[in-house]
Amino acid sequence: MGAFGLLLLAAMLAGLGLGRLSIPLPTVAAILFQDIVPVTKDWSVLDERIVTLVRAPRILIAALSGAALAMCGAALQGIFRNPLVSPQILGISSGAAFGGALAILFGYSGFMLVGSAFAFGVLALLSVGFVARVDGRTETATIVLAGIIVGALFAALVSLVQFVADPNSSLPAIVGWLMGSFASATWPRLMLAAPAIAIAAIGLYLLRFRVNVLSLGDDEARSFGVKVERDRWIFFILVALGTGAVVAVAGVVGWVGLVVPHAARLIVGPDHRILVPASALLGAAYLVIIDTLARTVSASEIPLSVLTAIIGAPVFALLLRRSRRQENAR
Amino acid sequence: MKRAFRNLLLTASVVSLAATSVAGAEPVSVTDMMDRTVELENPASRITMIPIPSTSTVIALDGSTERLVGMHPLAKSAITEAILGAFFPEAKDITSDILAGGASTGFAPNVEAIAALNPDLVVQWGHMADDVVGPLTNAGFTTSLILYGDEAKARAIISMLGNLIGKPEKVDEIIAWRDETAAKIEAAVADVPDAEKPSVLYLLRAQSELRASGTGSYNDYYINLAGGRNAAAELDGLKPVNAEQIAAWNPDVILLNGFESELDVSRIYDDPVLGATNAAVSKRVYKMPIGGYRWDPPSQESPLTWQWLATLLHPEKVEFDLRGQIGDWYGKLYGHTPSTEQIDAILRMEMNGAGASYERFAAR
Repeated sequence: MGAFGLLLLAAMLAGLGLGRLSIPLPTVAAILFQDIVPVTKDWSVLDERIVTLVRAPRILIAALSGAALAMCGAALQGIFRNPLVSPQILGISSGAAFGGALAILFGYSGFMLVGSAFAFGVLALLSVGFVARVDGRTETATIVLAGIIVGALFAALVSLVQFVADPNSSLPAIVGWLMGSFASATWPRLMLAAPAIAIAAIGLYLLRFRVNVLSLGDDEARSFGVKVERDRWIFFILVALGTGAVVAVAGVVGWVGLVVPHAARLIVGPDHRILVPASALLGAAYLVIIDTLARTVSASEIPLSVLTAIIGAPVFALLLRRSRRQENAR
Repeated sequence: MKRAFRNLLLTASVVSLAATSVAGAEPVSVTDMMDRTVELENPASRITMIPIPSTSTVIALDGSTERLVGMHPLAKSAITEAILGAFFPEAKDITSDILAGGASTGFAPNVEAIAALNPDLVVQWGHMADDVVGPLTNAGFTTSLILYGDEAKARAIISMLGNLIGKPEKVDEIIAWRDETAAKIEAAVADVPDAEKPSVLYLLRAQSELRASGTGSYNDYYINLAGGRNAAAELDGLKPVNAEQIAAWNPDVILLNGFESELDVSRIYDDPVLGATNAAVSKRVYKMPIGGYRWDPPSQESPLTWQWLATLLHPEKVEFDLRGQIGDWYGKLYGHTPSTEQIDAILRMEMNGAGASYERFAAR
């Protein structure tokens, strides 16, 4: 766990020091700590603004988003006892994407955008719950299928919004936003997303033991005196809140919620009391590293979702093979 | 490059021999930009234009909107909402309901709607997938294809369209103006050493995202022609960038696109990072003008774009009477002379007026 924390810290510091505008590391440090430590101001206004107004909020948003998506994924995978579940598969991302696209179509931004993304994320989740609940029972497989159905519906609605959007104003805004990018990260945006992400993250952290219980299966969980349906819905709402907030500020960032929990599980094991915070730290570090690459590798910004998969897939494949081999050796 | 122009022109002018302008009764045979032969019994008089910028080119070549029976919804809004709408109020009655599914974007044709217009020529993009062209040829329309891109292609579009409507002499006039203007600018800025050329950044998008225009774009062509350096030359084509990258380039001049209608120069001046670039500090942020078409992409009005930019980049080296040129050439192209207020609107004097050197364009 400590190693994950160090990794995140190192990734964030490296992110602050790296960028298309080359600013020496000592200068970056001096800019950051100028109010605490006496330093001579030998940097330009632009240098300072890049570090404090561009890089810092962007790194924090990336870290928060990575943490939120990975925690949501870890919790959902536990609750459903299904390694293929992620916020995307449950239709939450598509719902939130539709909410956000709709907000942009009608010219809203800021709180309305986040609120709309969140509201439709919850709506998608409620639809999944409604579709999957047959005769008062909800089967896990049915939930996943219902998630795919609802996700497809909202994906089609997103296409519809793009179809009617004004190609000179709202359409590029919607397309750019859907692609997923932290390029427009600012402090106000961070402040917009942070509360929702914080509530989701703290909630998931505090309830992480219940994921263990729910992951035993409904009957067994009930025998422990757990109100399965109620607990599951608390998790769903937390997940919708976290995912909706991330989608609202960064668009749909794929892969992190699915794969980071697996990677974390291979390293720390299946106990959610450790797995949930470990996923959070690993997800945060992963997304900070990916986003730093996205903004530094070339003069042009590389779409985030391209990098998350291209870099994530081989790493995950390697981890998977190694853990299988270890298990076989036992 | 010059040879490429000449070859294209040669092809176009050879075929144009068939298209003499005598009452427009002669058959026309033109090789389009995908090397297809397009044959018409008479010069086209009922044209459906699907590509957006070339619609105003047809109006300029003909001096009227009479030959247009259908056009793209975005071409229609660009025309009716700007100066061509004032010159040709009848343009608002030309239908724009020609795209598949009644769409407002994209280039997939609605073949039945186009057939109802009974066109003798349909002009379509050639660089897209066959599914935007196939339905047209399949339905038996005479279809001519154009390619978007550099100056050579811009000239080829003008030449092709002019020959198709039987106005080769107008083509020659417009091409000669391009040659002459380019030569004048080249001569004026020839002695500027590379190190003294201002670096210029063109932003195709600046509202929702930042998208810069790199090497190979038409913007890159006229930035270099006007004696500037493209700040985004390391990019290939049109690519998204972030504010930090723009700060690293630190351009001397920033050009904002004319496509985003809400976009204002304050987008740059008020931005904490972009507002600290050389361009913002020295008040050299300008929004591209909009005339018969937007001045950003190539069109029949491109020489005006070049003169506008050369004046802003090298105010001490070039002496163009831009307002005079606009008045003069709008008369030749569209048969109408814009008023002082209309020229102010074209040049966006209200927004750009406070920018460095922009007083050069003020009405006297």
